[in-house]
Amino acid sequence: MSQFVDGCRKEWKRLGVPEAVSNEMAADLTADLAEAEAEGVSPEEVLGNGVFDAQSFAASWAMARGVISSSPRVAGAIRRPSWAVAVGALASLLVAAAGLVIQGGVQRSSMAVAAVRGSITLPGLGQTIGPRHFRIVGPPLPGRLMFMGSNSLHPLGLVLFVAGVVGLGLTLWLWKPWSNRKLPPGFDEDVQLPSYL
Amino acid sequence: MSHMVESGGRRTQLLRGVLDLCLLAVMGEGPAYGYEMTKRLRAMGLSIVGEGSIYPLLGRLERDGLVDTHRAASNGGPPRKYYRLSCQGERALTSGISEWTATRDAVDAVLGLVKAEVKS
Repeated sequence: MSQFVDGCRKEWKRLGVPEAVSNEMAADLTADLAEAEAEGVSPEEVLGNGVFDAQSFAASWAMARGVISSSPRVAGAIRRPSWAVAVGALASLLVAAAGLVIQGGVQRSSMAVAAVRGSITLPGLGQTIGPRHFRIVGPPLPGRLMFMGSNSLHPLGLVLFVAGVVGLGLTLWLWKPWSNRKLPPGFDEDVQLPSYL
Repeated sequence: MSHMVESGGRRTQLLRGVLDLCLLAVMGEGPAYGYEMTKRLRAMGLSIVGEGSIYPLLGRLERDGLVDTHRAASNGGPPRKYYRLSCQGERALTSGISEWTATRDAVDAVLGLVKAEVKS
């Protein structure tokens, strides 16, 4: 059973359990298993179903003792990294900012430049303009086609929009592995404790 | 087969609710180390084979202040960690026994009805 105790030690080390505590638990476990073996008692009688999974057993013991806040394996399964949330929030802000910048540019364009579909006579001016003429005519009205040249899309808005969309895509891509991750076997999904506690 | 699985699962669920009380109770007989408690439980007919280990439970009892611990030499063996009931643990044990008794009596009353129907 020394292999089992070694497995526990490795897990405690990986979880960051203080060495003194790890040594104490390992010593108790070794002594108990040795005594049981000397009495002809099976390890399962001592360890219960924990005997089949040293990692889960070690993690649950350390967690129950309060020497780790929670098993990183469990935490990793249920928590998204904070930086992924930050990237998502930043990307959303970028998209929102891009929307505002682009909207502002469009409003300015629609006030400044409008295309006229077909030849019309502007009321009050007595001037006829053809389909290729563009004049400052005020807000768009029916019969007037709003023209948006390439200058209408503010470059900053475009950059923000692209950065935001890329950021959102990156966040979704990072998020997916965590959303698919399952709790390790033997852990209760509701209480985040080993199911046998 | 499925009936056996269900029975095993029920036993596990029932033990989950009272194993900590059982540990506190066997500690009431006197300080004991981990394996010693397993032996005391087994001597009373409660085997944990196929169930969870007592070690995480002992850790939780210690963290919750229900047990006090100290290290002492065992009979000819290496120093062991002994657990004994704390004052808080004694109160928890008393309270837990009351809850268990009330629950058991209520369940017995319900299941007893079925048993009486089967007999008649």
